[in-house]
Amino acid sequence: MSTENLKESEPVEPGSLTFAAVTRPIDPAWAWVPYQPDAQHPWSLAQAGHLYRRAAFGANWDQLQQALADGPQKTIDRLLKPQADVPAFNRAEDQFDDSAAGSDSADSLRAWWLRRMIHTPHPLLEKMTLFWHNYFAVSNDRVKNGKLMQQHVALLREHALGSFRPLLKAIVHDPAVLLSAGNASSRKANPNDGLPRILLEEYTLGSKQCDEKDIAEAARAFTGQFVLRGALQSIPREHDDGRKLILGQEGNFTGDDVVQIALDHPKTPRRLVRKLYEWFLSETESPCEALVEPLVASLGPSYDVMKLVETILRSNLFFSSIAYRQRIKSPVEFALGMIHALEAMVSTTQLAQDLSGLGQNLYHPPTIKGWTGGRHWINTASLAGRNNLAVALLQGSGAYGGSINPQRLSLNHQRSTVQSATQFMLDLFIQNDLPTTVRDGLLDGLPDTSSTVKTDFDAIVRQSALSIVTLAEYHLA
Amino acid sequence: MSRTVRFSLGLWFSLLVGQAVAQAPAIPPATSWIPQDAVICLEISHPKALLDILAGDKMTAKVTSLPLYQKLTANPGFLGVTNLIRFLETSLDTDWRTGLGKLTGGGITFAVCPKDTVLLIVDAEDQRMLERTHDFLRTMVQSDAQGKGLPDPVASAEYLGVTGWSFNGKESHAIVGNRFILSNNPEGLKGVLDLRNQTADQSFATVPDYAAAKKTIEQNSIASAFVNLGPIKGIPGIEKALSQGKSNPLAALFFSGMIEAIRNSQWLAAGLYIQDQTLDLRAAVNGKPVDPDGPAGFAMPQQSGEGALPNLVVPRQIAAMSFYRDLHRFYAAKDDLFPERTSSLIFFENMMGIFFSGRDLTDEVLVEARPHMRFVVAEQEYDPAIGTPQIRIPAFAMILQLRDQEQFDEIVEEAWQKAVGLINFTRGQQAMPGLIIDRPIHNGAKFTVAYFSTAGLKDKTNLHNRFNFCPSLAMPGDYLILSSSDGLARNLIDAQKQEAAQSVKPLAGKHSLVELDGIQLSSILQSNYDNLVRKNMIDKGNTQLDAEASIDLFVTLTKLVKHLGLSMGTQDRLTEAQLKVELNLP
Repeated sequence: MSTENLKESEPVEPGSLTFAAVTRPIDPAWAWVPYQPDAQHPWSLAQAGHLYRRAAFGANWDQLQQALADGPQKTIDRLLKPQADVPAFNRAEDQFDDSAAGSDSADSLRAWWLRRMIHTPHPLLEKMTLFWHNYFAVSNDRVKNGKLMQQHVALLREHALGSFRPLLKAIVHDPAVLLSAGNASSRKANPNDGLPRILLEEYTLGSKQCDEKDIAEAARAFTGQFVLRGALQSIPREHDDGRKLILGQEGNFTGDDVVQIALDHPKTPRRLVRKLYEWFLSETESPCEALVEPLVASLGPSYDVMKLVETILRSNLFFSSIAYRQRIKSPVEFALGMIHALEAMVSTTQLAQDLSGLGQNLYHPPTIKGWTGGRHWINTASLAGRNNLAVALLQGSGAYGGSINPQRLSLNHQRSTVQSATQFMLDLFIQNDLPTTVRDGLLDGLPDTSSTVKTDFDAIVRQSALSIVTLAEYHLA
Repeated sequence: MSRTVRFSLGLWFSLLVGQAVAQAPAIPPATSWIPQDAVICLEISHPKALLDILAGDKMTAKVTSLPLYQKLTANPGFLGVTNLIRFLETSLDTDWRTGLGKLTGGGITFAVCPKDTVLLIVDAEDQRMLERTHDFLRTMVQSDAQGKGLPDPVASAEYLGVTGWSFNGKESHAIVGNRFILSNNPEGLKGVLDLRNQTADQSFATVPDYAAAKKTIEQNSIASAFVNLGPIKGIPGIEKALSQGKSNPLAALFFSGMIEAIRNSQWLAAGLYIQDQTLDLRAAVNGKPVDPDGPAGFAMPQQSGEGALPNLVVPRQIAAMSFYRDLHRFYAAKDDLFPERTSSLIFFENMMGIFFSGRDLTDEVLVEARPHMRFVVAEQEYDPAIGTPQIRIPAFAMILQLRDQEQFDEIVEEAWQKAVGLINFTRGQQAMPGLIIDRPIHNGAKFTVAYFSTAGLKDKTNLHNRFNFCPSLAMPGDYLILSSSDGLARNLIDAQKQEAAQSVKPLAGKHSLVELDGIQLSSILQSNYDNLVRKNMIDKGNTQLDAEASIDLFVTLTKLVKHLGLSMGTQDRLTEAQLKVELNLP
């Protein structure tokens, strides 16, 4: 890999909006080395915004300023291990989840999760919980039990930044997963291949990495496992304790053994790394094997997810143009980015409904493959829907009321004219990184407000904020 | 309107005083200054009577003793408001209650006119206090703007010899003698001043419908309201609500009589009366009452002396409703009442066919019910040994009376047991526990109850919501009681025995009666306090503290209502409604 190649991929050019596959070769030795700002590649507001979009759900102004002052590595330290008492926060939030899980619906749970995403002192943990929710794609459409869904997401959160090994071992015994996989019962006379198929094809090796015989044998290993009245029960007499041949290994395997075999298979860590690459770095480019291998090594045999995420977030590649704005925000990221930036709290019951309308219904991934994401988030209808949601959030009345108030925030940060408030919104939402012509058009179109009354100022700042969050740049993560 | 203050305060005073001297003796009723095309006109002729009850010593003592008030007193915003009021009291040399009485004692008139214009006319008892208050507020607004470095927001202009003011560039107001006039736009104020100067009276006071409506209001009313229903019925939301019955059978069942009467009416008149601690609001519409022989006649008592029965009374009762509704006539007229055959209605009919073994719903089932429908909602008591649900849902019941109980009771019992069986089968398909049927005896009446067993459950203090329900069927005497809980079913059996012993008479001419006990409602809200706070947090985006304050306020308001009763019926060819609110004051 030449130095020229490396340099080509490095800079983040302000105003660049390149959502196309990058085919340039990338030097792995450069890619995963921690990013150190220098004169050529300085740490900037754009970089800070990029970091918070990927490792959190956006940032407010104080967080951006703190990140600017602290530099990338210290900011990443804080995102990985916040100083706040995260367990205490989550214990308190878990109580709200407990109360919401009493019904068969997950509607209240969705609202509480969104609220937790907004309030959490550890947004990376929630971001990773969302990642695993998409990864395992357990839907209450199939589970139909709020309590089990609550326990499932709590399990994801518990292991979100831990090791994939214990997480996967717990997943195959999670009643919600079994119900979602259509695996409520599996008898030795009629082994159910629902869970084994998903385990091998979706959770570990990937599709076409094993044959039907492997899945049938794995199904025999999982026999004797039942979900009865919402609880997992093992009935030994229904377990097939004969010898099985799975992925070339032979033995008297149980379900746990199948998990172990799948985890030890070389395809599994590579698949997980690629999923995390897509989640944190880029949806537009599939990394080559050479680029993946160092990450597989970082993950290690213990499947240390935290270490892998840390490697990605600190890397040169993460702060390069190969990653910058190379993802489309999911509806959750789109909405929470606004709410975070404007330091507001809204009705999350309403927000959950609106996000569902945009295609991201939490607790209800559409298929066993989760949300397709990427370009699929955007089509003519969903783009109009996103704009409508932005209008609803920013209009100061209606379903979300007046809790979001860009004017008040601007004044709090000493931006008391329409021009300065609009510039502030540009910095806040997209770190002022957009083509000059667009920016100038936005600012030049503002009225002279030296004598504008309060209500007009409010309306103009709301309109400016709306104009910014409906720009193409804001839809990119 | 100019944005500069054109006159000095001294000139303003002299002008007002001069006008007052000229106008005071002949100032006409406020409705003479309201345009003819006003859609809504509310007149509070005795504001002090309202103030006495809503801001009197008892209410003040009640409000200030509330925990919510104590919390509010620590809020900086609240302290700011109380300080402002105290400053105003000192400046005007009065207390706020006396001041408010003097500022409004001559009467308050509020009108909603076309083009989104709203008018408020207040006649003060003390003209000098009105002027001083105006002056105080003007100075305060100007000082506030000055402090923020904003331009002077106060503007004034002359129109027909009167000075019009605006404190924010939008509202417009003027003072004519002891009369304060406020509009949400300058054109509204000009319209009032035009009427003041007109010799030919074209004001609201001369509108014939208003004069006719006024006759329905008794002399001792504290306040009255007139609504021109023509424009109101054209508002999309109201138009939709008035046509609800055509697509919604339940709306047709419960609102028939009222919907038709409003559809046929040109105006609505209402009068407010106060007796001790009871607010009594009586309203009437002038439309032709529903034809007792027409499709909606099922809700009209056929003979004099007929009407809805008084409500049944049970312990811990939150609400009760009683309707005069002939279900047989209602369903026989379904093609006229709700011609749209929704899938829900077809499903309902199919299920009824199954439950009642193929009997015709209209002529073989509903015909057996007398035209009295009653509903009761009551707070439940939970036996700790059985368990307490996380969310405590009130029990509710429907009570009908049968024409031929002996012939029909087994048919109902069979239908009900089929329904329970269907529920159990459906739940079983989803691996969920089902209901267990029991037939206990209470007060000499055997009834059927279906319940979810809590046997084997470890934590009985936080049960699933399903444990709020023990569907029960009881048929004491000729009554048919369908209750969501066995406790309410037992209480209704007792209530039936009492009623049967008293030979209760119907409420003549009334077809609907709704009653609410605010204190009992506050009790169930209090029982679900934590759940309500949590729901408020995610529904409104509030912090826990704000959510608690919001629920506290709601609970407080419900506690202030000792009893609320709403009745509707027909009297002297007018469709009337009466709302009585008995306040819970010491």
